[in-house]
Amino acid sequence: MDLSGRFGARSGDGVPFREATALESLHLGGGGEEFRQMVPPENAGGFTALLELPPTQAVELLHSSSSSASQATTLHSLGTLSFPSNPLLMERASRFSVIATENQQNGNVSGETTTTSSVPSNEHIKTEPAETETCDQAAVEKQSNRCGKRKELDKKVKSSTKKKSKSSEENEKLPYVHVRARRGQATDSHSLAERARREKINARMKLLQELVPGCDKIQGTALVLDEIINHVQSLQRQVEMLSMRLASVNPRIDFNLDTILASENGSLMDGSFSEQSYHHRQLQQPPSQQWPFDGLNQPVWGREENQDHGNDHNNLMVGSASLHPNQVKMEL
Amino acid sequence: MKEEFLKKWQMGLQIYRPLIDNTSVSERRKAIKLSADVAMASLRKGTTCWSRALIQKTATEDNFLVRQMLSGIKAETLINKKLPKVMCHRKIVRRSKKILRRRQSRSAIEEVAAKARKLVKKKTQGLRNVVPGGEFMSNDVLLIQETLDYIVSLQTQVNVMRSIVDAAEAGSERTAYYLGKLKFAIEDG
Repeated sequence: MDLSGRFGARSGDGVPFREATALESLHLGGGGEEFRQMVPPENAGGFTALLELPPTQAVELLHSSSSSASQATTLHSLGTLSFPSNPLLMERASRFSVIATENQQNGNVSGETTTTSSVPSNEHIKTEPAETETCDQAAVEKQSNRCGKRKELDKKVKSSTKKKSKSSEENEKLPYVHVRARRGQATDSHSLAERARREKINARMKLLQELVPGCDKIQGTALVLDEIINHVQSLQRQVEMLSMRLASVNPRIDFNLDTILASENGSLMDGSFSEQSYHHRQLQQPPSQQWPFDGLNQPVWGREENQDHGNDHNNLMVGSASLHPNQVKMEL
Repeated sequence: MKEEFLKKWQMGLQIYRPLIDNTSVSERRKAIKLSADVAMASLRKGTTCWSRALIQKTATEDNFLVRQMLSGIKAETLINKKLPKVMCHRKIVRRSKKILRRRQSRSAIEEVAAKARKLVKKKTQGLRNVVPGGEFMSNDVLLIQETLDYIVSLQTQVNVMRSIVDAAEAGSERTAYYLGKLKFAIEDG
């Protein structure tokens, strides 16, 4: 699935938008939507995100404007009209980009964005195209700036227009995401939801990094995932080794449940203690049963002292380990 | 957490008690491992995906154990229900993607980003292979949550098992020593 898109640095907000299109197409099992499928490789907001921040933001504005423009159903036809002709598209795109910045500032000022609050921004867009028909020079300038990325823009806007038809119904069904929109980022609900998801994933990756030893220093998602996989595999192998050792140690594995006390030290020691007691009962005569217990008592106490330190470590680890699930559950 | 795991594990081992005189080490090891795994999974009580998948996997090998270890009601639902997720044939998906992507302008920067994304995708697939039930997790958020939980449980399992094994081995050394002493004493006397 599109984990990679989620892991893009927090710059490119066009990224999740486009990734969402790819994701949708995958979910639909879609081979039909060519444009959507062509979108993913064009994502410029990946790991080298910082370099591409300016261009992607420029494209974002385009996206947000075009997508938010289509949220109102009346503008849906407008979006599809802009689809076929390229020069018209550029003009409109440039105009919308001018508007979008203002809209975003408005959106940022308003703070929390919900589906309802995006409606006023749509109205802004409606009124403003009429006004900005005159500023052609600005449009021309923006055209020249963007002619290098024309192809991508075309495809992306096309994909976005296609997506709009689907997402216009979905937008109302999306759960409210109370996320503060950052400056210069898209404010439509869908990309916000995507961003929230991405942040969720990043938060959990951070937890994982804390859990797996030696992952803090590593930069980059792929390596961290590598480490996690290795860690899980090593833990699984350790379980196998330990069960093998336990199986070979004593043929009778008997634990006395009654002797398990609340304290971990006590429980672990008592478990092993009774296990040996059974073991001895098997092998030795009843009259000599007494002294194995006595004989074992000393080693048991001796071991207990040594193991106290180990178990303290275990206690600490359990404390921290149990803290993590609590943390995780709280965040959930 | 640890005590519960220990208790459940011992419960599982006691089920094996009549069979514990299995002669081969491998059978005993399998019994130990299975009961430990099921104990660990049952601690989560079916809330997590990996625990359900793990229980279902062991149910294919030893249904009786699973039924005994889980508390009855859940056992039936957990054993019978199979997670319904269509596994997409990766080859076909990959080929169709390649065909659709053939004609595209790629700048150098994009290629790097695309490769990075491919890497991450491969890693998540690898993670899905390792975590039990990973193929059924549709989204990545769930996958990471599950791995978190799974790692925590694995760590407690390993800790408990290691301390038991250490105690048992240390005990067995001493018992061997005492046995030798006893044998010597008997032979003498």
